Amino acid sequence: MMTLTRKILPTRSSAYRALLIAAPIIACLGSAPALAQNTPQDGVHPDRVDWGVLMDLSGPTSASQSIWVAGLQDRIRMVNEAGGVHGRRINILAEDNRFNAATDRIAFEKLVSQTPVIAISGMGTSASQVALSPTIRAGKVPIVGTYTSTKALSEPVSPMVYNGFCGYKEMAQAGVGHYVDRLGLKAPKVATVAIESAGGKEYHDFIAEAVAKRGGTAHHITMKVTAVDVTPQALELMALKPDFITIYGVPNTAILTMKALQQYGVKIPAFGITYLGAPQIFTAMGPEAGANYTFASCFTPGGSDTLPGNVEMMTFAEKVGRTAIREDINYVAGWVAGQMISEALQRAGREATRAKLVESLSKGFTIDTKGLSAPIVYTPQNNTGPVLFRMFGYDHATRKFTAFGEYADSARYVQ
Amino acid sequence: MLGQVLFSGLALGSIYGLVALGFVVILKATDVFNFAQGMFVVCGAYLAVTALSLLGLPFPLAILFIILGAALMGMGVHAALIRPLSGRPILSIIMVTIALSIVMRAGIEILYGPAGRTLSTPLPSGGFLFAGLRISQLHLTAAAVSWLCMLAFGLFFRFTSVGLLMRAAADSHEAATIAGVKVDAMNRLAWAIGFTLAAIGGLFLGQLQIVSTELETIGLLALPAVVIGGMQSIPGAILGGLLVGVIEQLASTYISPKSADVMIYALLLVILLVRPWGLLGQKAINRV
Amino acid sequence: MSDLATPKPAAAPALPRAWPRRFILWGLALAALAYLPVLLTERMIFGIYLSNMTLLNLGLSQVNLMLIAMLGALSLNYLTGCAGLISIGHAAFYATGAMSAAVIGTQLGLPFPLVLIGSALAGAVMGVVAGLPSLRVQGLYFVLSTMAVHYLVAYVFLEYQFRVFDVVGVPFGTPSLFGFELSTPMRWYFFLLALVALVYAGLSNSLRSREGRALLAMRDHERAATSLGVDVRILRIKAFGLTSAIAAVAGTLYAHYLSNATSESFGITFAIQFIAMIIIGGMGSLKGSLIGAALWLLLPSIITGFAAGFGGGSGIVGSMLGEHRAQFVQLIFGLLVVALLIYAPGGLVSIGPKVRALLGRWRKG
Repeated sequence: MMTLTRKILPTRSSAYRALLIAAPIIACLGSAPALAQNTPQDGVHPDRVDWGVLMDLSGPTSASQSIWVAGLQDRIRMVNEAGGVHGRRINILAEDNRFNAATDRIAFEKLVSQTPVIAISGMGTSASQVALSPTIRAGKVPIVGTYTSTKALSEPVSPMVYNGFCGYKEMAQAGVGHYVDRLGLKAPKVATVAIESAGGKEYHDFIAEAVAKRGGTAHHITMKVTAVDVTPQALELMALKPDFITIYGVPNTAILTMKALQQYGVKIPAFGITYLGAPQIFTAMGPEAGANYTFASCFTPGGSDTLPGNVEMMTFAEKVGRTAIREDINYVAGWVAGQMISEALQRAGREATRAKLVESLSKGFTIDTKGLSAPIVYTPQNNTGPVLFRMFGYDHATRKFTAFGEYADSARYVQ
Repeated sequence: MLGQVLFSGLALGSIYGLVALGFVVILKATDVFNFAQGMFVVCGAYLAVTALSLLGLPFPLAILFIILGAALMGMGVHAALIRPLSGRPILSIIMVTIALSIVMRAGIEILYGPAGRTLSTPLPSGGFLFAGLRISQLHLTAAAVSWLCMLAFGLFFRFTSVGLLMRAAADSHEAATIAGVKVDAMNRLAWAIGFTLAAIGGLFLGQLQIVSTELETIGLLALPAVVIGGMQSIPGAILGGLLVGVIEQLASTYISPKSADVMIYALLLVILLVRPWGLLGQKAINRV
Repeated sequence: MSDLATPKPAAAPALPRAWPRRFILWGLALAALAYLPVLLTERMIFGIYLSNMTLLNLGLSQVNLMLIAMLGALSLNYLTGCAGLISIGHAAFYATGAMSAAVIGTQLGLPFPLVLIGSALAGAVMGVVAGLPSLRVQGLYFVLSTMAVHYLVAYVFLEYQFRVFDVVGVPFGTPSLFGFELSTPMRWYFFLLALVALVYAGLSNSLRSREGRALLAMRDHERAATSLGVDVRILRIKAFGLTSAIAAVAGTLYAHYLSNATSESFGITFAIQFIAMIIIGGMGSLKGSLIGAALWLLLPSIITGFAAGFGGGSGIVGSMLGEHRAQFVQLIFGLLVVALLIYAPGGLVSIGPKVRALLGRWRKG
């Protein structure tokens, strides 16, 4: 018996090996027919339509980007609970790019061909947005509702791209215009405090351009993303004595700058970019430093007024248990992007395809957010998206945002 | 201007020194070059958030909670990961500390969410003028507490019997085992101390900044601090921490903030080439 | 479990009739490698459409990036596992490659083969410079010196990017090799596959050469190697130059594949991932580098795919999974790495014989 086993062992071992290799393949093929009706129709299925979201969900910028995704998903949930669009449920496929260009490319190609989706939202990593822009512009999948916009993707205007967040150029114009008028300045001296990044430099250039138009000067002060102490920057600001400051970066950038200035007893008004509009930022600054700080936004943060759009969002967020983040500016931005998605699908018609979606959007459309922003207008010549801004401060006593003026006021600053 | 920058650099450097001290304690005892030290700092900050914001403990109790929690976690890490890997090549152990930091980051983000949190403690946050310098009370407190911790550890390490046993165990595992020292218990204690020192650093960094997993990068500045000061040297770690803090602030002021890292690592390279055993280390090193 | 370490002597007879089988296996493997990109692009087999999970949530881009990572892992394993030098400088060499490609290709507009040669040369020079501290320090100290080199190169890249290209990063055009445009993932795949095979063959040949054997000897016993009449210090620097050149070429390809590179692309975590790959795969084994790179690049995506299937679950676990899917993927990945480090210290290549021994015992009853 023993010898027999020995004799047949080599053949058996090779058979085993072959079986080991073949088994997964057979298993895959076996399961294939069951899934065979899943043929790709640009992500449009009888009962649902797949829509992709490409954002940083676990990387360094996930603190803000994942809140945007939560807002978007909640809005879609509301739409689905009301019966979806053209009888189909919207299925959001959120891919995590970890703020990494390589992961982003993998996820992008996955959404384009592996789990095909009709369109993609988000694209929060500017470096990979730039890297993917030739593919997007020449491709078939539209990007509806971007989280950040880069020149490479949005200029010149393409029927494949629809921006969904406040643009830096208009933000700089509106913010500078607002402060110059409010403070009654002739030749404003402005300082940009920004993290050292490509985006920071671009933002400073927009500020400098807007300031130069009013005969003023702008200075660029940088800090590290991971700064713990901004004494050098605070000293530079005190030597410079600007009329007002504008801040670009992560929440920490704004908090440290305002707290440091307070330490030195300096009261210089400052405004941050839209992304720096979370209640935690104001609470971290404290009432004293927070009183000098506002942020420019093209969206109204949750709970700061009682217009129908805001009430609808706050109520639904409460219902699904998002009370902790519903006042974050990223949440409302995601919520509006969700509205954009459902209205875009509405336009694409009952038998939606990628081509039909692009065709219907490229003619131009307007999104009425019922007060959450100024009406967002897209035309065949301009897909910039939200362009009108308001400044928001925070009342520490009532824990509510307070708005300065109306969106329409900024129309005269923005070109 | 220079005085102001030096003050903030020294205050920050004291916190780095504290974290670096924890790093050296672990390195001396178990020869583990701990890349998870940055995440230990983050853990400390989140323990503070848990105690103060979530449980609402009074401040002294919260401090106790942080210290106990950190010590337990340090022992847990040692028991679960370091002891099973003892005797493995240095690179495998470095890798396990890197994997540990991936796991810790994910775990923290699952439990607390990815958004940063603000830490409010009753520590003084105002400022005052002293000899023409504006002194931030929080910076001053952080520095003072760091120095107290370092002093306490130094006294413990030098003058108590447990400290003596720890030193014996660190110097030679075999000799200590023969002499009846419970080397394993000493190593566990070293990890508990290393984690706790990092956690106290995290409490201050979390208050100076905001509490988020991004504090890891700052905690990892302990690495160059340790090498500059001398890998096996406890005073060296403190000196290294102070130097890193001062260089960071000086480079940010007089060159540019982004040059700060490169300055620190340039100094590290020079030290490695000229005096590889570090500023205060002992000249016992493998050289070709 | 301890008796697993002493496997039964393998009954591996060099029978002449084993040859045809070997050829058949090679042929099948080649056919599979050639068919893989078609499968991943068409996503159907025999006219049957395969769902995303049937293909394990994988696409051709992952495979291509994996092939590029294999170049990095191979070179690092040659250096670390075979020559005994540990380096955290691989991101720096990738960045060096990308930077020289930007100067030669994007700025000067020279053809792609020259870009490759230029970045290899720049990588070799950079490697020799970064290897110089090895003349003086060893072990952990040397690791830290490569880490310092990493930060210096990262700073240079940042300055270069901001001064020359400003905002959005360094752009790279579509490369073309003697008329063969690398314009689709499929073309990239065949080019990269050939390159990885070439580098693998080259490195394993070099290990079998006299200098290669001296390198291995040097790793184990430096004195012994010296007594063989080899200057280990020169050899070490040479190994560093060679592997850095390979890493720089990989960096060039990486940058071209993504068509845009920023200083953030080559951070310290980027360098650390190569160390992870070779430890997971198996230090000192070139085959292990391939396995490690494959696992590191493909596993997160496979876990993501499976996690997506569980997202809709109910209860606390289900809702947590749905909410923090990305974090769970990282968590599981980190735990897997820890488990591998504890239970498979020799890397995945060391598991193969163990499993075979286990199967053999099980069959014997």
